Amino acid sequence: MQPDYLVVSGADKRFGAATVLRDLSLSVAQGEFVSLLGPSGCGKTTLLRCIAGLLHPDRGRITVGGRDITALAAHQRNVGVVFQNYALFPHLTVAENIAFGLRARGISKAEAGPRVAEALALVRMEVHGDKPVTALSGGQQQRVAVARALVVRPSLLLLDEPFSALDRKLRETMQVELKQLLREVGITAIFVTHDQEEALVVSDRVAVMNAGQIEQLTDPVTLYHAPASLYVLDFVGQSTKLSGKVLSSSDGMIEVQTAFGVLRAPASFMPGSSVAVAVRPEAMVLAPEADAALNTLRGQISDISFLGSRTQIHLNAPAEGEDRVILELSRLPAGLATGQEVSFGFRVTDTMAFLA
Amino acid sequence: MERFAKGLTSFALFLTIAFLLLPIVVVIPVSFTEAPIFAFPPEGFSLQWYGRIRNVDGLLSALGLSAQIAALSTAISLLLGTLCAIALVRGRLPGAEAVATFMVSPLMLPGLVLGIAMLQAMRELGLRDAWFSLLIAHVVITMPFIMRTVLASLSLFDFAMVDAARTLGCSYPLAIWRVLVPNILPGFVSGALFAFIASFDNYPVSMFLVDVRTKTLPIQLLNYLEISPDPTLAAVSTLLILLTIFVLFLCDRMVGLRRMSSI
Amino acid sequence: MMAPASKAQKLDPLAYLALPGLIFMALVFLAPLLLMLWSSIRGADGFTLSGYARVLGDDYYIQVIGQTLQLALITTAGALILGYPAAFALARAKGWRQVVLFALVFLPLTVSIIVKSFGWGIVLRRDGILNWLMLNLGLIERPIRMIFTEFALYAGMINVFLPFMVLPIYSVVRMMDPRLPDAAATLGASPWFRFTRVTLPLSLPGVVAGVSIVFSLAVAAYVTPSLLMGDRYMTMSMVMAKAFLNLRDWQLGAAMAAVLMTLAVVVVIGAAILQRRLGTAKGS
Ligand SMILES: Nc1ncnc2c1ncn2[C@@H]1O[C@H](COP(=O)(O)OP(=O)(O)OP(=O)(O)O)[C@@H](O)[C@H]1O
Ligand SMILES: [Mg+2]
Repeated sequence: MQPDYLVVSGADKRFGAATVLRDLSLSVAQGEFVSLLGPSGCGKTTLLRCIAGLLHPDRGRITVGGRDITALAAHQRNVGVVFQNYALFPHLTVAENIAFGLRARGISKAEAGPRVAEALALVRMEVHGDKPVTALSGGQQQRVAVARALVVRPSLLLLDEPFSALDRKLRETMQVELKQLLREVGITAIFVTHDQEEALVVSDRVAVMNAGQIEQLTDPVTLYHAPASLYVLDFVGQSTKLSGKVLSSSDGMIEVQTAFGVLRAPASFMPGSSVAVAVRPEAMVLAPEADAALNTLRGQISDISFLGSRTQIHLNAPAEGEDRVILELSRLPAGLATGQEVSFGFRVTDTMAFLA
Repeated sequence: MERFAKGLTSFALFLTIAFLLLPIVVVIPVSFTEAPIFAFPPEGFSLQWYGRIRNVDGLLSALGLSAQIAALSTAISLLLGTLCAIALVRGRLPGAEAVATFMVSPLMLPGLVLGIAMLQAMRELGLRDAWFSLLIAHVVITMPFIMRTVLASLSLFDFAMVDAARTLGCSYPLAIWRVLVPNILPGFVSGALFAFIASFDNYPVSMFLVDVRTKTLPIQLLNYLEISPDPTLAAVSTLLILLTIFVLFLCDRMVGLRRMSSI
Repeated sequence: MMAPASKAQKLDPLAYLALPGLIFMALVFLAPLLLMLWSSIRGADGFTLSGYARVLGDDYYIQVIGQTLQLALITTAGALILGYPAAFALARAKGWRQVVLFALVFLPLTVSIIVKSFGWGIVLRRDGILNWLMLNLGLIERPIRMIFTEFALYAGMINVFLPFMVLPIYSVVRMMDPRLPDAAATLGASPWFRFTRVTLPLSLPGVVAGVSIVFSLAVAAYVTPSLLMGDRYMTMSMVMAKAFLNLRDWQLGAAMAAVLMTLAVVVVIGAAILQRRLGTAKGS
């Protein structure tokens, strides 16, 4: 296993006046499945196209397995791509689509046959080989696109929003299926999505992109519990944010004044700085017992919403202010009503602080 | 009531087809007549009128000229029109729609108006070469057919397919050849077919541009019809009809006739 | 190290591929048209509308314009009456039958207009096939004269332009969801109600397309009227041809051409606007 299998370093890409990638660096280990997460227009597709050789960055280097491929054209790179709407060739059958890459490499029809059959079997499409691709359902088309990209044994597989054309139910099945398939093949893959849940479910590591740069690249658990910035925090999962001022700072712990009271967070910012403090809804408990490891605050219930498996409680600060707290409980205690004042708490170690 | 409507429309279709084919089919028996007139039913059977085609002054040379002009103008339109269509579909050109309308507009213009305008312009420029005038005028005639069909098939084409082919190991020109060309071929073929026919059959533009020695087939045919109408014309017409059927058959094999229904 | 970002950089390099075709058409198509329009208002001493005054002020030319419009209208109406139901039957046919029927409607389009007009002459002659048929069926006692009558002209014009009516209607009807009239039936609509409220409105875009094509082709027709009627029925196209080729009266011809062009363009643009209306009405 090579830790720096795919390396993009210092890549810039401009279209006219717009800079779409700026000094972007990325490093992916061999066999790893990394998803690229970010809002529309942040440059995800552009980055993929640069790696595939369909675009050339204005500056920077791209290496795969130590080999510099920056100057190579798309057809010399051996990088597989699954396109957003699959880009299957309508004038060819399913089997001919899959054989396309092999034939382009000068492999004879006879030699390609078994490999195509193998690829069809891999995506469980054996019986559909002779159909025109236009006769396939969305899920089947996606499988053909994956098989077509994999059959040439690419050094790297890139997938640009491969699930966006599928409905929700099918999407969930295909996510699991694709994850298992790529594990089985053991290929290094980069997968673009703007669905954060999909990114967390599917990948080994997630790269969050912001305006042409990678904001954070880490495993899903770290990403969720220790986002590197407010941007990442906002983009991944729900959270309650309170604005406040740092009162004191010592030993990597700060005390912050918020509308709900004073709380502590593991961080070291100068006293007097404005900060945002964030907590995940499920990290909070209602009416906790006194505990030095907890931040304990009070608030007034403004709304209770039942969501099935959990219940959300919205709290207003006792003092005037815009901040609200949302906490999630798996079971609603009896006798809770709107207007009531309650205490709530969360672990100091679950408290995240960012400079505002 | 339902059955009545169905019967009525079927009858209308039958009538339409019979009516459309009547003047075409009728020339075939007349071409085999022995008598030098077009009377029906034809008398006897002979191939003499086919034999005479060779002797009619200027007919074969007119056929050659028409085929030459139609083929050349179609080829030029294919080149210029395809480049223009690519620019319109892929070039993020401002006002692309207006440009497309302009390139197709000769189709909406009365043919005679076009011919008169051309004639006048050629005179002003002192250009008296009939062959060259015919050629550039016929490029204008054929351009709309190419533009329409190529634009339509290009705008339906997903250019991500070219990228896909490149990532699968095809160089850019090869990707164009393997993926773009087979997908827009029906547009090319039907566009070229219509363009060729429009040029080959054109009368109202050509009639202002021909001279005594440079005459296209429709002009020569009409001339002949006015001067000495005899069944030779029926023989020529029969051959032309057979030729069209053959070309249509070829096109059907290549791309399927019904894909051409957008005239 | 990078090329300076100039204004031209904003335009995709592919856009320049349009230039050869555009320049060609501007020089060979647009410039001559403008020249012609200009010559229609150019007199011996500067600007004049006398060409138009002659065309629009002379009873003879007004009559020619009227005849031309009448011919185009009758041709369009005839083609619509015959072609509309035929298009439905064509769209309804299935499998190989549809291929054959389609080919039979399509074939005449590709046959030379001279051949068709010539054949039409043979059909209508005193000793032609139509008279022969009617004689043998006992419908008439002696041959009747048909060629060089207005009837022959109308029939010939409809014959030439009918496919241009059938095909656009056919392609709209073919795309029509056949369940819609059925849905109307389940709502209790009678066949006639179904036709007028569902089928007819849905087929209207095809009708508009067909009517505008046939009308603008018929109004400019030259070969068919001159072969079937000759000088007996002057149309605008024939006046133009005469003005240029025989009379050498360019101003008259150019003015007539401008009027004809205006007529054709108005119909095409009107149809385009109507199409767009129908399109948006369908979308809402
Ligand atoms: N060929 C191009 N020419 C000019 N601008 C481009 C080109 N390709 C992309 N852009 C611009 O670059 C920016 C980033 O595009 P990109 O397709 O990489 O975004 P993305 O993150 O994939 O977005 P999405 O989630 O919507 O697919 C966009 O603002 C886009 O308009
Ligand atoms: Mg994208």
